[in-house]
Amino acid sequence: MVNSIPYSIDASAREAIPTSKVLVVGAGGIGCEILKNLSLSGFRDIEIIDLDTIDVSNLNRQFLFRKEHVGKPKAVVARESILVHNPDVKIKAYHDSVLSSDYGVNFFKKFNIVLNALDNRTARNHVNRMCLAADVPLIESGTSGYSGQVELIKKGATQCYECLPKPPQKSFPGCTIRNTPSEPVHCIVWAKHLFNQLFGEDDPDQDVSPDTEDPEAKLDGQNSVTESGNIKRVSTKQWAQDIQYDAEKLFNKFFNDDIKYLLSMENLWKKRTPPKPLSWEQAVKVVGAKDENDETSVRAVDMEVWSISKCTKVFAESISQLRNDLEGKTFLVWDKDDKPAMDFVTACANVRANIFSIQQKSRFQIKSIAGNIIPAIATANAMIAGLVVLYAFRILAEKVQQCPSIYLRQKSVHSKFVLAADRQLTKANPNCYVCSAKPFVNVFVNVNKMTVKEFETELLKKHLNMVAPDVVLDAKGVMVISSEEGETEANNDKVLSDLGIVDGSILKCDDFLQNYELTVAINQYEAVEKDDPFFKVVANPDELKAKESNTKENGVSDHKEPESEDDDLLVLDDIVEDPQEGSSSKKRKLNTDSDDDIVEVPL
Amino acid sequence: MSEKQLSAVEAELYDRQIRLWGIESQERLRAANILLIGVRGLGSEIAKNILLSGINSLVILDDGVVTEEEQHKNFLLNRDSIGKKIAEEVLIKAQALNPLVKISADTSNPVKKDTKFFESFTIIIATGIKSDLLLRIDKICRASKVKLICGDVFGTFGYSVSDFLDHEYFEDQLKLVAKKRTHDGIEEKPEKETVKVRSEIVYPELNKVIILPNTKQSVEPIKKVKRRNEYFFLMLTLLEFRDREGRNPDVSHKEKDVNLLKEIKKEILTLYNVDEKKLNDDLFNIVFGEVVPVCAVVGGVIAQEVIKGVSQKEAPINNVFLFDPLTYCGKEETVA
Repeated sequence: MVNSIPYSIDASAREAIPTSKVLVVGAGGIGCEILKNLSLSGFRDIEIIDLDTIDVSNLNRQFLFRKEHVGKPKAVVARESILVHNPDVKIKAYHDSVLSSDYGVNFFKKFNIVLNALDNRTARNHVNRMCLAADVPLIESGTSGYSGQVELIKKGATQCYECLPKPPQKSFPGCTIRNTPSEPVHCIVWAKHLFNQLFGEDDPDQDVSPDTEDPEAKLDGQNSVTESGNIKRVSTKQWAQDIQYDAEKLFNKFFNDDIKYLLSMENLWKKRTPPKPLSWEQAVKVVGAKDENDETSVRAVDMEVWSISKCTKVFAESISQLRNDLEGKTFLVWDKDDKPAMDFVTACANVRANIFSIQQKSRFQIKSIAGNIIPAIATANAMIAGLVVLYAFRILAEKVQQCPSIYLRQKSVHSKFVLAADRQLTKANPNCYVCSAKPFVNVFVNVNKMTVKEFETELLKKHLNMVAPDVVLDAKGVMVISSEEGETEANNDKVLSDLGIVDGSILKCDDFLQNYELTVAINQYEAVEKDDPFFKVVANPDELKAKESNTKENGVSDHKEPESEDDDLLVLDDIVEDPQEGSSSKKRKLNTDSDDDIVEVPL
Repeated sequence: MSEKQLSAVEAELYDRQIRLWGIESQERLRAANILLIGVRGLGSEIAKNILLSGINSLVILDDGVVTEEEQHKNFLLNRDSIGKKIAEEVLIKAQALNPLVKISADTSNPVKKDTKFFESFTIIIATGIKSDLLLRIDKICRASKVKLICGDVFGTFGYSVSDFLDHEYFEDQLKLVAKKRTHDGIEEKPEKETVKVRSEIVYPELNKVIILPNTKQSVEPIKKVKRRNEYFFLMLTLLEFRDREGRNPDVSHKEKDVNLLKEIKKEILTLYNVDEKKLNDDLFNIVFGEVVPVCAVVGGVIAQEVIKGVSQKEAPINNVFLFDPLTYCGKEETVA
């Protein structure tokens, strides 16, 4: 049999390939490409895990899938496609979440190398910890549009995925959304909230009515805002049902009555352009181009900005459709790919934008923002996946030092490098709360307000990315949170101080699955301003001062980029935390040089 | 609805890339008719990427027969294709990548194709051909305003050379625009706006870029560049090897081939008046075969250049791309 292992690579890699076991995490754009490269380069033992199913919009790049595969599990179909080409490869496919406790440290230890091809930070953080715990080299990769990067993570040799704090998720203050929008994104977030108020699951944080608690509205000690404004009907949803989702009534309430009410909060408009209330009667008269209702034209439907009268038409149509969809269900979940849901948000966002003299957007643009869509192309994924497997060869040849991070960049006049590598491996952050010898963080919480459940869900799980933590109050040996069901449920609704957790307390937080133990020092902190964060986490004690003086941005430390030249690329419409085929830790300048190009729209 | 406009099905399929390069670029791609010469390791990668992008038509020209070795490194071929014509065998899987593209196979020898054949394409991609044929095709392309890009992978080394003629292209740039809100006397912070910027690159003919010992072109203009990327000379050495031997370096006679490569290298460096040390002889140990992940990288670069050439969106590489076989960096080199 002809040997398919490439000749022109390191001899020791050639030897290692046939007996090496590789895990590919993610069978999306980069994952498909990696699987192909591995199989064509003589790898014989591959496992692939992905929890996703195939969507039409994947097919422009995830080439192991075809139209008839839409709806099927990615991992399973990817495996089958590879086997058609080479029936001799051993591939095991898991249609599952890599976060599941089925994949513990021992699972990861089976592999010589792990290749990440993920699209979200949570899974990246988790695999990072699993590979550190199992001491298996991990190659992290990601793309975003024309750009991408490949980075080796190896315990003791490089930084880990969590060594540098990631840019914080951008969220918007409630009063900006409810009272004083100034950008299209504010109107889009409001429109999604409105969708949830009318059709979705009840969420008090997603109120869309004027916010009378807005501190700005109460300036000068005036108390012009009366309680009556916030009189809550049964609930918005109940009220909508009572009026049988009458489009005209709904429209007048949200775009005329509520806006008039906002105008009465005079302080808000002293330095702003006041909004212009818009009644249904007025709105239907603002007509656009004749052909704008041509449903067959992609340009007219998706690319052009709708007139206000078209918005009213779509508003009424989508509400009627959504009302039908709601029948027999308790609520709908907003989905960018659900036509009436997307139509509704487009219409509402644009009407609101019009009222507040904000630029209106096309359905296509609004979908990018509302759906957190990152553009993705086959070519960038192919290049990045090629580099991932070239690095895999090097790691098998034990040439770890020759695997510095490498970046694919949109070609720019400032640089001749299309693919640029760092000069050397990036060293670990000695204060990293994940990969340092004794992981430690300071957390700032209000011990009299934060409940144990909030501490677990918001802080340990969502922020510090633990999966199933056990928490013990160090000095007293009190079990605060247990990963065993039923053991500490009684603590859930207690506030931290009820359990004796106060300023200066030390908590030992242990995640058995991740084989990760973190020491948490509690600092009492009280939110002053309305929009102050609920809690703060600081890994490096040196950062404490800097953090406090710069509370707006959660301090993204400046990271050195040896090969970087002066390119001021901007990815337009790049509105997300983590790329589709996701970029990894550092997004280099292209994504970070401008504070408001990356926004995270709260879902 | 006009033929030129995208259908809803296409808009959905190409959604993630339209969000990057815009609907106009997608419409230009949709009208592009492309010739791909050579569908081996590198060619199959290029074919995959451009088919996925949504072009109008692709002609695959390759007169080769599928060997076991080729099947191993070419995912467009299955095992039952071994022994059959490669261009015809890749069709089924190529078509499955994108049923909307018109694909056809041509199993004739590219050398035997007449001038007329090449004239009808939007862009031609050439892999694995000798330099005399390449330069002949370039002349035809220039006369009939067809763009051309060629490239190869030799082991872990790869390159591409483009001739996009007089290429006009557009880039989106963000500009700060002061908001005009003077009617109510309120100054608002400046807004960012996307501006379309037009630029142009005039590409040199390929016979001014690829100058080998026996071509009767002067190397003077190329020589002037002091810090020429050493891999440019590696590219020329490998092209000259193929011209002389009628094949790529082959591991089955490695010693002989390495010796010939060393000889050719000397000739080329002498021609360009470059120090022999500029190109390390050890590199000749890693130029055998097509390393699949390198095909993926270089095939990705070439396909992206094709997309730029067709869509006239974003700055293309001007005019040589060189993939460093040791560091895996990829650099643009402007030659001539």
